[in-house]
Amino acid sequence: MSATPSTLRRPGLRIGGLAGRISGRGVARVALSLLGGLSFLGLWAALSEWAFEPFVLPSPFAVVENMVALLEEGIVAEAFLKSLYKTMMGWGAAVAIGLPIGLLMGRFRYARAFFHDLVYLLANVPLVVYAVVSLVIFGISDIGPAFVVMLLVLPAVAINVAAGVASADQGLISMSRSFRRDGGTVARYVIIPAVLPFLLAAARVTFADSWKLEALTETFGSSSGVGFQIHKAFTTFSVLDALSWMMFFVIFIVIVERVLLAPSERRIFAWRNPGAARDSM
Amino acid sequence: MGAAEGLPGVDPRDSDIDRSDVIDVPLGETRRWWSFLASDTAAVWTARILALLIWQMAGSAIDRIPTPIEVGEFLVEHADLLLPNIWVTVQTAAVALTIILVVGTLLGFAMGRWWPVRYFFTDLVMVLIALPAFIWALLAVMWWGFDDIGPIFVASISATPILIVNTRQGAQAVDGDLQKMSAAYNVPVMRQFRKLVLPTMSEYIIAGFRFAVLAAWGAILLVEFFGSEEGIGFQAAFWYDAGSFTGMIAWGFVMLVVIVAIDKIVMEPVLRRTRRWRAETTGWSM
Repeated sequence: MSATPSTLRRPGLRIGGLAGRISGRGVARVALSLLGGLSFLGLWAALSEWAFEPFVLPSPFAVVENMVALLEEGIVAEAFLKSLYKTMMGWGAAVAIGLPIGLLMGRFRYARAFFHDLVYLLANVPLVVYAVVSLVIFGISDIGPAFVVMLLVLPAVAINVAAGVASADQGLISMSRSFRRDGGTVARYVIIPAVLPFLLAAARVTFADSWKLEALTETFGSSSGVGFQIHKAFTTFSVLDALSWMMFFVIFIVIVERVLLAPSERRIFAWRNPGAARDSM
Repeated sequence: MGAAEGLPGVDPRDSDIDRSDVIDVPLGETRRWWSFLASDTAAVWTARILALLIWQMAGSAIDRIPTPIEVGEFLVEHADLLLPNIWVTVQTAAVALTIILVVGTLLGFAMGRWWPVRYFFTDLVMVLIALPAFIWALLAVMWWGFDDIGPIFVASISATPILIVNTRQGAQAVDGDLQKMSAAYNVPVMRQFRKLVLPTMSEYIIAGFRFAVLAAWGAILLVEFFGSEEGIGFQAAFWYDAGSFTGMIAWGFVMLVVIVAIDKIVMEPVLRRTRRWRAETTGWSM
């Protein structure tokens, strides 16, 4: 019977500097993770070499070549910027509408019951339904994707803001009241600091999904963006292009999550759970 | 998904915003008739009726948007199509979810239990989670055409990673000290598994499975929309091609109703059962 992961988790040798970060486990970890990626690529290459025709499943090398070609053409950056712009519009609208709803939900029981079904329902709508709704209401336009991203992000913003309000220190609030602080001061020094981390958590929770929905909606009906390019690959029956865009998609999400969201989140929440062992995933 | 591990922040799909959260406040001593209007039930129904009214008004004001009455009439008119198509999609979902459950729990458990397995698969699972279902759906249509394997493949590949991540967290949450003690007192492995590992993990597995059901459902609908000859997704695509926005919205409504029904009738009671041993719920409700 092997020991559990938690008992195995011991800090690396603390000699200081770089050496302190290097432990046997760390090396094994990187090696295994590389091995995992390589065996996947190997499987892919083998399948395309021996099992399928190249137009059915192009080899990873062909896909990389195609990605470089697409990058040089310049349509990748353009498509991503366009999609990012639409996603951000939807995001801005979601925060603008979700913030007041969340504040009400956190403060008043009536508001919580009132918005209960809306939040639950919006969170459970299959993405394809959102895409259909966008297509019906807006046809082929840029507003459609932004609108449905707003609908998708709204419940996350509302419920996280509500949780933030609920988490605000009640003692501080009643003390402010005893000392006759006005509402603005309480909001600024007690409520907002409590709510802000939860708002960022909402961003973290919904980022990948909102990006996927945005691209999906573009696939259904749009004339620009990543989803449009993917749909073009589909209509021209090019598995090569579809796989290339798929890779760009993954690279983009992983970069944003690992480079932008995760570190900012760690910094913002550092005061909350010091020393919380977080086995990175 | 499963992103904000161990950090504050609520995923709206995961929070305990179920009916148990909305309980009527006992009316005050002065039982005036209008005090009912402030109760939770009144709030919930006010919201529902308002939403329908807003939809109706939007539908009458804008030509493109069908009104709820038109959608209802459409569904009554095409009632004979409803059950066969729902049955096809639900059947596909059942097959896919069986695969997802078996692969997801086994791999997730292995990843939580043995660190070499974890490090081998972690990045691969991350990449699979980042991949959108609709690209898989388009690829599946290009690869297999209208074959039945498409929906099952896409559902499995996009929903299994979600369950893997949750199961892995569950396996890692098993109390290490209790496990060491069990080993020291020679508790049989099966008994350890039944009394210690399973109760801890079941909550994580069911919570992850609930997400997986939602993801698989969406994935199957997508494949049906892009390339299929039957099912709910196909019907939506069919009426879109026929130029009927009412038909498209009606079938979109069916997609939503079925998944909400599955979530409410099957997933939520099971989830609550796995959480019943807890002293208090972990939701955000005060």
